[in-house]
Amino acid sequence: MAQQRPPRMTGPGHDTFWEGCGKGEIRMQHCPDCGHRPWPVVTSCEQCGSEKLKFERVSGKGKLVSWCTFEQSYYGDLLPVPWDTIIVELDEGPWFISNPKGFTNAEAKLGMALKVSFLDCEDQHGAFALPVFEPA
Amino acid sequence: MAIWEGIITGMAQAGFVDMPPSVQEASRKVSIVGIGESDFHLDYRAERERADGWEPRTVEDMCKKAFERALADSGLKRSDIDGLAMSYTYGGPEPSEMATHFGIQPKLGWINGHIFAGPLPNAAGRIMAGDAEVIALVFGIANRSAGRQFGGMTFASGAAGPSSYYYHHPWGWSSQAAHWALMAQRYFAKYGKGEEDLGHVPMTVRKHAATDPNAVMQKPFTIDEYMASRYIVRPLHLFDICLVTDGAVCVIISEADRARDMAKVPVDVAGWGHSLITQDKMKVMIEDRLRPQLQDAGGQALRMAGLSIDDIGHFEGYDASSIHLVNQVEGFGFTEPGTGLDFCIDGQMTLGGRIPTNMNGGNMSYSYMQGWGQVPEIVRQLRHEAGPRQIEGLQASMSALTQTDIVHPVVYTRGD
Ligand SMILES: [Zn+2]
Repeated sequence: MAQQRPPRMTGPGHDTFWEGCGKGEIRMQHCPDCGHRPWPVVTSCEQCGSEKLKFERVSGKGKLVSWCTFEQSYYGDLLPVPWDTIIVELDEGPWFISNPKGFTNAEAKLGMALKVSFLDCEDQHGAFALPVFEPA
Repeated sequence: MAIWEGIITGMAQAGFVDMPPSVQEASRKVSIVGIGESDFHLDYRAERERADGWEPRTVEDMCKKAFERALADSGLKRSDIDGLAMSYTYGGPEPSEMATHFGIQPKLGWINGHIFAGPLPNAAGRIMAGDAEVIALVFGIANRSAGRQFGGMTFASGAAGPSSYYYHHPWGWSSQAAHWALMAQRYFAKYGKGEEDLGHVPMTVRKHAATDPNAVMQKPFTIDEYMASRYIVRPLHLFDICLVTDGAVCVIISEADRARDMAKVPVDVAGWGHSLITQDKMKVMIEDRLRPQLQDAGGQALRMAGLSIDDIGHFEGYDASSIHLVNQVEGFGFTEPGTGLDFCIDGQMTLGGRIPTNMNGGNMSYSYMQGWGQVPEIVRQLRHEAGPRQIEGLQASMSALTQTDIVHPVVYTRGD
């Protein structure tokens, strides 16, 4: 059964990202002019200003760079606390906020190798696949 | 006039107001001659207790209280104030309306941004340009009474916040505190430190607040009490997070030569700088902990003042969180990266140490005045009027508005 989650950001660019997730891929913007990979989605390159950004599939592999656990609830009944969140440095460079799968923050280690997995979720915009990370 | 050549503009979205460039010709041309604050402690208590007949303070009334106190502190007459700059975080009356409320008739009035990201250089530039001689800068914020919460489904101010506040909702990640939590956790893992080390930072700041009768939180706590306090976002405890408070601060500035004839020792505005994160915000925050921005902006302010970091004897940093104060103490160069917690435990951030920091209690204990609250403490310290928490023989201080992505340090020197 799909997990209920707080709403995604939708609109041009954001939709492309979530469509990729639906196909089991993380697709991120890449700047052909300077090579930068912005995240979250932007309208022009934050490094060089280029508007030629193209979405490309990234490997979905990375390593754990930090983590934190919400003990105070910010989402009411929607999400239970404690609630684990992590940040992953993707092999391609961007730092990506996500949730752990197959481990908890109590077991987290700096530099742990991780790979993406997709969780069936639902928000006010409908069903979607949420990228989360499990030990590689 | 020349001072506005190369003026730094167009950064309103990041929170900055326009300001003159950080050039030596603009150093020490303007002095702070009066300071005033609203009743942070009393108002906070009253709001908590909500006795019969309690009503939230209005931003107008808190600003009026701060203005009256600053005016009395300066020894000036109402008619001496010929400029009025109002700054509000959540809005407030027009400067003309506030001038009437204050009983003054300034020839110049304007809205001077909100947070303490450039309003002092902005007003100093107007004095240097000859638009006014004595300006009252007044900041007011009334958020606590309105019951704002920072984080969660909506960005509570109603304004567009940094994207990191709301972009990550589907993963259940939100709030300013969450930024600091990721930062602290990485710091712990990277440098082999833990919560019981970090706790020394808010404990030190609270010890300072215990000597300020206007600080909202004055009761000292021990490391055991810190460790026993509840988590907000693990690894951060309640004591690691700034307060949410209402209040107002007034700072009166004058052309520096004229300030020499006024009631109190003038405090000269000696330098300022600015920097912002323009890309890879999460990585720059959590891995670099804003060091590139702190070095850049700090260097601008110090070069303008003709000083080095070794000359700064007092620091009022932006402790939105304990770990973020460590970022600034390390990032400006008071101590090396990764050594900040040992530096604090060693007593280097308090009286008798290398850089007494947040001497009135900062955002975590004094009041959350979005950077404005740093100025009254700096003025008291540089006048040598800070009583039990006075830093002996102090000649130069530094403040810094440092939020998640912007940095604005100001350097001040004793003007005698
Ligand atoms: Zn680019």
